[in-house]
Amino acid sequence: MRFVDEFRDPAAARRLVRTIDSLVDEDRRYQFMEVCGGHTHTIYRHGIEQLLPDQIELVHGPGCPVCVIPMGRVDDAIHVAEHEGLIFTSFGDMMRVPGSEGDNLLAAKARGADVRMVYSPLDALQVALDEPDREVVFFAVGFETTAPSTAVTLLKAQALGVRNFSVFCNHVTIVPPLRAILESPDLRLDGFIGPGHVSTVIGNRPYRFVPRDYGKPLVTAGFEPLDVLQSIEMLLRQLREGRCEVENQYTRIVRDEGNPQALAILARVFSLRPHFEWRGMGFISQSALQIGEDFATFDAERRYEVPGVRVADPKSCQCGEVLKGVIKPWECKVFGTACTPETPIGTCMVSSEGACAAYYNFGRLRHAAVPDDVTALPVA
Amino acid sequence: MNGDEITTAAERELGELTRDLATTSLAMARRFRAGATLWCVSPTWPHHARHVAVEFVHPVIVGKPALSALIGPAEEPIAGLRASMTRGDLVLAIGDGHDVVTADLMRRAHAWGVETIWIGAGPRPPAGAADHVLWLDDAPGTAAVDGRFILLYHLLWELTHVCLEHRGRLREPAPVCEGEVCITCSDDGQLAEVVSVRDGEAQVRTAEGPRIVDITLVDRAATNDLVLVHAGSAIARVSDEVPA
Repeated sequence: MRFVDEFRDPAAARRLVRTIDSLVDEDRRYQFMEVCGGHTHTIYRHGIEQLLPDQIELVHGPGCPVCVIPMGRVDDAIHVAEHEGLIFTSFGDMMRVPGSEGDNLLAAKARGADVRMVYSPLDALQVALDEPDREVVFFAVGFETTAPSTAVTLLKAQALGVRNFSVFCNHVTIVPPLRAILESPDLRLDGFIGPGHVSTVIGNRPYRFVPRDYGKPLVTAGFEPLDVLQSIEMLLRQLREGRCEVENQYTRIVRDEGNPQALAILARVFSLRPHFEWRGMGFISQSALQIGEDFATFDAERRYEVPGVRVADPKSCQCGEVLKGVIKPWECKVFGTACTPETPIGTCMVSSEGACAAYYNFGRLRHAAVPDDVTALPVA
Repeated sequence: MNGDEITTAAERELGELTRDLATTSLAMARRFRAGATLWCVSPTWPHHARHVAVEFVHPVIVGKPALSALIGPAEEPIAGLRASMTRGDLVLAIGDGHDVVTADLMRRAHAWGVETIWIGAGPRPPAGAADHVLWLDDAPGTAAVDGRFILLYHLLWELTHVCLEHRGRLREPAPVCEGEVCITCSDDGQLAEVVSVRDGEAQVRTAEGPRIVDITLVDRAATNDLVLVHAGSAIARVSDEVPA
């Protein structure tokens, strides 16, 4: 239990690990999917898998907003960014996400495009206010955690009558991919660790179909290592007691009804796209947001010509299988060799929330150092 | 349960407490090395708070440095500490697991960028209530008077000095992400405490420093509220209910 000492309240973590041990049936295996990339990051960074009994396997889900963006959309973003005189703003991680031919926004910036990193869409709007003679586009990505911020930004832009600002919208929603995973014929999951911060906005109610229609428990969890351990304990307890429900571990922030104010603003600014392509998962119906008619003037897709070409993922890249939990990151053919955080082939290797990057940064040496037979360790 | 089992259970508890003491001491030494001040409070037993501060601040062992330590206000400690503590400081509270003032202080300190230590006895506070929980599993009143709290913080003080002598161990772990490409810096939830509100925006205090955030999405946000911030907007208010 080496890593527990680095947790907040290590004593509580040790107690939780002991409880988890006591709840595990030695004769069965458990597969739990953490839906959110933030959880994946916590799990790898704090070595949580190493604390759990061998019977528990954590499967990393599709909840990293960067990882699910298809290459064609990145190509579209680069195309917009290279418009003469335009300022293209983006969260940091999207700058390195490869489009087709390995091109990315950083490379576009090197070629002369004015690409700037921002921490918030509101910062992008401020750029537009500061430079009224130039067009400013914000590359919007993310789930229901960041979409409200984009919506607020568009409301402000409209109220201020800003004419030189638009949004290239790639916001996605969490429930449709969750349903797509549950529809997978080779599904072997025993339960889900639900996304904490997305649930502050949408609440716990949208997950009720998971136990009702698919017979899988779901526990909404926070992002501290203790939160993740506690959510695993709650899932095990449900299975042990024969219950199957949506439970909330993250009660300090998540309400069943979510944030009605944020939901109302989302509904006012956005509408659902009929289809959206997810990296490795194909097209999923009503799984993404587009800018609504009342805000059409702020829609970069209407303001600029975007190629909209669908680009197939590189054949060697298995991001799709990783995102669906079919394979672990290290089982990908190019993991750690052709595909590294410095030279990513797939998006899962780009974002620090991506399963491959998280595993590369925090888990690969540990995985290699704990073989079943310690005598088989190679001599350095 | 026979005597051997009782002994084994006691050893196990002490063993874990020893480990927690070591971890806490190292964390404190790192913060002191970086210039932290230790703030000591105890709404229930203010004499213990005074005692801890005195221990850390006076160089009783020849050659050891005095460490910066102060006593927090006995009345309305949260309001007093909010105004006094700065990012990187330490707060040490002594109180039982049902002490709601301490619980509230511990969760707010997270937004102030302050590392928290909670010493107590009896029923434990909820998991994760503080960064470091040093706990004696018996009646809190007894531990407060039989010298075990004193033993605990004396050990903490001595071990902190031991850690300070090992400079190589005082380096903070490397940050998780460096450079300008990291979505966890932009799309990561930040706990923030509202300092002031104006025209749909709030000046907030976070562990990373002060910033201005939009509060359109949070109904009636007011000064001292704790909120969760994502991408520049507060998207939820943290429950006012202090876990106890």
